[in-house]
Amino acid sequence: MFDSIVIFSSLALVLGLILGYAAIKFKVTGNPLVDQIDAILPQTQCGQCDFPGCRPYAQAIANGEAQINQCPPGGQEGADALAELLGVETLPLNEEHGETKIEHVVIVDEAVCIGCTLCIQACPVDAFVGASKVMTSVIEDECTGCDLCIPVCPVDCIHIKEIQPTPRTYIPKVTHV
Amino acid sequence: MFKKLRSPASQLGGIVIANPCPVDNVEIIQAPLPDKVVLPLQQRMGDEVIPCVKVGDKVLTGQVIAQAQDAFCVSIHASISGTVVAIDAQTIPHQSRLKSKCITIKSDGKDEWVEHKGYADFLHELPQTLVDYIQQSGIVGLGGAGFPTHAKFNTIKPCHTLIINATECEPGIMCDDALMRHYACEVIRGVEILLYISGANQAIIAIEDDKQKAYQSLLTLTHNDKINIVQIPTKYTSGAEKLLIRSLLDVEIPANKFAVDEGIICQNIATTKAISDAVIKGKPLISRIVTVTGDGVAQPNNFEVRLGASFAHIVALARPDSHPHNNRMGGIMMGIDVKTLEVPICKVSNCIFINHTKAKVNIQECIRCGQCNQVCPVGLLPQQLYWYAKSENTDKAMDYNLDSCIECRCCDVVCPSHIPLTQYFSFAKALHRQKTQGQQKVDIARERFEFREYRLERNKTERTKMMARKKEELKQKMANDKTQKSKIAQAMARVKQEKNGNKI
Repeated sequence: MFDSIVIFSSLALVLGLILGYAAIKFKVTGNPLVDQIDAILPQTQCGQCDFPGCRPYAQAIANGEAQINQCPPGGQEGADALAELLGVETLPLNEEHGETKIEHVVIVDEAVCIGCTLCIQACPVDAFVGASKVMTSVIEDECTGCDLCIPVCPVDCIHIKEIQPTPRTYIPKVTHV
Repeated sequence: MFKKLRSPASQLGGIVIANPCPVDNVEIIQAPLPDKVVLPLQQRMGDEVIPCVKVGDKVLTGQVIAQAQDAFCVSIHASISGTVVAIDAQTIPHQSRLKSKCITIKSDGKDEWVEHKGYADFLHELPQTLVDYIQQSGIVGLGGAGFPTHAKFNTIKPCHTLIINATECEPGIMCDDALMRHYACEVIRGVEILLYISGANQAIIAIEDDKQKAYQSLLTLTHNDKINIVQIPTKYTSGAEKLLIRSLLDVEIPANKFAVDEGIICQNIATTKAISDAVIKGKPLISRIVTVTGDGVAQPNNFEVRLGASFAHIVALARPDSHPHNNRMGGIMMGIDVKTLEVPICKVSNCIFINHTKAKVNIQECIRCGQCNQVCPVGLLPQQLYWYAKSENTDKAMDYNLDSCIECRCCDVVCPSHIPLTQYFSFAKALHRQKTQGQQKVDIARERFEFREYRLERNKTERTKMMARKKEELKQKMANDKTQKSKIAQAMARVKQEKNGNKI
């Protein structure tokens, strides 16, 4: 009788200590769901979802404050992927937040640019290079095509450039069965 | 244990294909100078090279018209003398049928050469000088893949074996056979240059055993004990780099590594001739030997032609018949169909197949017979890969080593359901590449967005901190400064006095 009490209480003590240590050591900070949602979002950072970027939107979805169909760049595929992750019914893309545009970047008409730096401040991914009163240029590889710089330009020198297929990005077709 | 179980290298996969158009007399016919040449700026790797000539410029044969910029590019040379008439997008021989930027030169008919001088005394030059010279001479692998030749030498690992691939990968192509018969001397000299540059202990020239005349002509001219000429059985895909190394040296190159990582350099036989021409004579790569064959031409043969000439220019010399044709660049197995013959001959165009248009085969469902698994020369499971490629599950396909697939089409040939397996594989590879590139872009965007947020936040806190500090400093200064205090007191006293004075 006494033996079993000793054995079990020491066992409980040891296991409790291990569990307690593990709880501190492997503590999950933040919400892992936010990361998972953020991984699905296209990272355009365009703000069309009414949140200031993809991560805030992911946060809002995780908190149940936003619907999964507010991301036009992600398209219907993105909404479906979110629905699958969250285990909810998928929703058709909400048109209030804009339409899905084809993949594009922006370019600056360098002859017209006055160097006002407004686009530099608007860009969510720092894809602009320039300074006050000098010509500004876009790092095309870094541009996400969020179009946030277009409305702020006072001289309308930022234009959309669609990404053209090249022999290097070509995906061969298959003669289907 | 595993070594014992593994089948001998020569028995693993591959198929024996009969030559579709055997030719009695393999010749090289000099094609006449073309009226105009079109030279594409896109190379196998890297960005398009930037032209260093303008429209209207006069150029001489062999003159550099686009300079190499990075380590995986080579220079482009004018293949005829004449005038640059256009630098614009033209149709190139690519399966996408997309246009790409090209330089067009109209011939003046004179074929005047630019002044050229090589390193005839190459043994007294530094190997690096020769490697750079090979890059400047525009030499890439002429076997069909177009990998830049100099790039294989720019590695840290010392090379012990040089393999010269003279296997002529596919049945029907005979440009390398002809080259060895007619330019044996240049070929051997090219191998010697490569031996010197690479510092290898031995060079192995691998020839398929159906090219006896080529073998004999090389044998009579080889007086170097470092050069071995080896005959290998004629079996399709034995010419693929990794498979050739496996059958010659019994060395297996791992999936994510290259031959150079194991100290082996592989070069095509036609490339060695181009190297010899460049280094000894100073002539850059401006022409190549192209086989024109197929059941749609009366006289299949090899033609030495300037790069950039149209396919039609040399196909006409082989006297095609008037039936509708299916045109193909490269061999019957790994080649690509081209829609028109008005595309330029590039450095990688080793063969043009002109075949009569055949009725399309009826593609049926996979019956899981497993024949493709047995025939795959790299030991993949095409049947399994097919399901993943079809469902666009590229991650899973990559787990099954899809990227090791050499797209040899052996599986297509044996498939009783005529499924275009290789088409699925190249589709899945391209899709996977697109997905990974997209994912990389997304990750960069996320990182940059998060950094910007952090930066704005940091700026804000730094600003508030600075303001608070400044305010504090100012207060301190005011409190400590006695002269300032006395000045204020004096001013106050003056004002008071004045006020009193006014009252009086």
